[in-house]
Amino acid sequence: MQADFLDRHSRLDSPVHRLPAGAKLAAALALVVAAVALPRSQAIWLAALAGPLLAAAAISRVPWGFLARRMLLLEPFVIGVAVLALFAPGGGWAFAFLVARASVCLFAMLLLANTTPFGDLLRVLGRLHVPALLVTTLALMYRYLFVLVDEAQRMKRARTSRTFRPGRSRTWRTSATVIGQLFIRASERAERIYAAMCARGWR
Amino acid sequence: MHIPDGFLDVKTATATGVLAAAGLGLALRQARRHLPARRVPLLGLSAAFVFAAQMINFPVAGGTSGHLIGGVLTAALLGPSAALIVISAVLIVQCFLFADGGVTALGANLFNMALIGGVGGWVVYHLLSRGVKGLFGRLVAAVVAGWASTVLASIACAGELAGSGTVGWRSAWPAMAGTHMVIGIGEGVITALVLAAIAKVRPELLGLTAPGAGVLEGAGAVVCGEAATTSAEDPVVSRTWLRRRRKPRHPATNLVSAANGERTGPLVVFGLLMSVGLALFVAPFACGWPDGLDKTAETLGFKDRESEHRALPAPAPDYKTPGISSEALATAIAGAAGTVFVFALAWGLARALSPKSARPPHGRA
Amino acid sequence: MEVRDLRFRYDDGTEALRGVSFSVAAGESVGLIGPNGAGKSTLLLHLNGLLPESHNAPAAVRVDGLPIAPNNLPDIRRRVGLLFQDANDQLFCPTVFEDVAFGPRQLGLSDSDVAQRVADSLAKVGLAGFDRRAPHHLSGGEKRRVCLAGVLACQPSILILDEPTSSLDPKGRRELKELLHQIPLTKLIATHDLELVVELCTRVVILDKGLIVAEGPTVELLSNEPLMLAHGLDRPHILRHTHPH
Repeated sequence: MQADFLDRHSRLDSPVHRLPAGAKLAAALALVVAAVALPRSQAIWLAALAGPLLAAAAISRVPWGFLARRMLLLEPFVIGVAVLALFAPGGGWAFAFLVARASVCLFAMLLLANTTPFGDLLRVLGRLHVPALLVTTLALMYRYLFVLVDEAQRMKRARTSRTFRPGRSRTWRTSATVIGQLFIRASERAERIYAAMCARGWR
Repeated sequence: MHIPDGFLDVKTATATGVLAAAGLGLALRQARRHLPARRVPLLGLSAAFVFAAQMINFPVAGGTSGHLIGGVLTAALLGPSAALIVISAVLIVQCFLFADGGVTALGANLFNMALIGGVGGWVVYHLLSRGVKGLFGRLVAAVVAGWASTVLASIACAGELAGSGTVGWRSAWPAMAGTHMVIGIGEGVITALVLAAIAKVRPELLGLTAPGAGVLEGAGAVVCGEAATTSAEDPVVSRTWLRRRRKPRHPATNLVSAANGERTGPLVVFGLLMSVGLALFVAPFACGWPDGLDKTAETLGFKDRESEHRALPAPAPDYKTPGISSEALATAIAGAAGTVFVFALAWGLARALSPKSARPPHGRA
Repeated sequence: MEVRDLRFRYDDGTEALRGVSFSVAAGESVGLIGPNGAGKSTLLLHLNGLLPESHNAPAAVRVDGLPIAPNNLPDIRRRVGLLFQDANDQLFCPTVFEDVAFGPRQLGLSDSDVAQRVADSLAKVGLAGFDRRAPHHLSGGEKRRVCLAGVLACQPSILILDEPTSSLDPKGRRELKELLHQIPLTKLIATHDLELVVELCTRVVILDKGLIVAEGPTVELLSNEPLMLAHGLDRPHILRHTHPH
């Protein structure tokens, strides 16, 4: 399994990891909402929100390098939108505030994701009476995303290994074929999973 | 196009959240009622598929590359209700597992990418693929729908950002729409290429097996047949997963048989939700209509926050609308009229172009 | 468990099973072997009522005397535990606990009973304490054993295994084999792993092109080289040493 890098750190052991998932979810949401509702004149309060976050991150022992990499990966979207604010009067200040605020929220959600196994979050959603069909879909998606990402990479490699005259249009067609094949295999796997569910008494 | 946290204000986040929740709730209800039990795992697998497909790179130029968004592709394969659930699941997982897309912007992201990008794209795809028959028609429809849904979603996104006072409409809309007019070409082409690849192996997934008439009726019958057996004795595992099937027994259209088994009722509601959203987020800027959402926010009590915003050097041109306070009634009427107009137009078009969708829904056994 | 004249035709007209009859007595371990496409997987699916019955003569399959019929299905699926070929298909829950608990929950057990069964089953397969792990963080052998735990948690009386050792490394294969040895249930094992058959099964059924072509004691049948070669099989190495012909 190559793709398990995606959520490796959520299963570390630390005081933060041991907190109940519901509490962490509530705390992260509260923090994000507070940051979002914060008017620009009160920007200084962002620091007050960031403080506990950084402390929690330190206690959680999720590697800083990993968090920084994920932040950098997501910041382009933040900056891309914030840049538009530069065109308005007073744009520099607005830009800095937007980026800072979005980064605090981003960090809160990253920390939540990397200290809470997704399965635990799903159980919280179930308790909150989120429709069962949605929870099932989310659970299956989470379970099989790693399988399918691996499958896609294997197919892509197999194709590439037999591609002797690379070119852009050929690559596009190859990739599209891989995606098409991936869907067909996913739909077939869905039927096998249905059989496996029935075999253990589903419905 | 994933809006991060901190870019939408409370009123926009709330409004998009309500619209998205209504759409998703309706789609879930549809699925619970009409989706055969054996198709339930397909929703989760399709969501995982969209996620995995988004990780495959398509080289563009100068070392940059893009990837599929997948709204129209999902909708073409699964039909609008199922696609709405699938794309929503992808966005929710991206938000909570990878912090990609903000949690307070989840409603907006769902609205833009699942409702507009998925269901809206499906409407375009469906209407066009009825106009031109066969695989060629499907592919042309996919290109156009892929492009249109991407651009529409980006415009909605720009409207939400501008309406939040985060960025100015005048800079946001050309930047977002301009970029996505290019990205949309890629999206449309990839969608068509993928559909073509699928059609080569499993044409029945695109409703292309039985040439000519009978396809649509057949699909309806399959839905009912399946729905009738979704009890304890529903062990129908088709041969597909033993990987030997070539000729399906039914000329079924797609896996959920949704495109044609889909009832008109939910489509009307999806259309209404999209129209309301576009009327709220885009129309005020595009047509110079008063901002109905701002008005609503004020009446609902978000006014303090807004005035605080306005005390600062106003970054957004939308707040300069003068004399608005004296026209509360006019605003409401204009907003409602706009919504109804857009909706009536879409509905009339759909009715005119798809006479079959107006037939009474099949009874269930 | 009894199968009498089971026939099955897929939608596309291919006849996968063309009149299969055999039985497995309580406590017996039977190997089901045959070339690819012989109909092994199809047969196993029938034993769990996962394929439509409409194409069959009525009551071709009986489990503990119960015919496979819609109102018997929950009971039959509880009695017959099916281990699928691809562990990834069978492990469909986000955590090991959820997955093993899936069957017991469907049986309507209380939360504490479910937890007890999960703990017992995981202990049986030697994976106690794996509850909170995610399936995608497990090795192939561990996945297979979690699948087995999920089946055992339903407390079946018959265990049906579809290629249990495929894609396992030698260590995983050895561990699984030992585990199966210790489980005192009636077993039907479909596999290409003939050494597994020699070690676990007393009797063998050879299926080819939807028909049973031979049936008998393991060693006798598997040592019959012409028979084995005629049906896309081979004489296992273990038997070359013990039974030189």
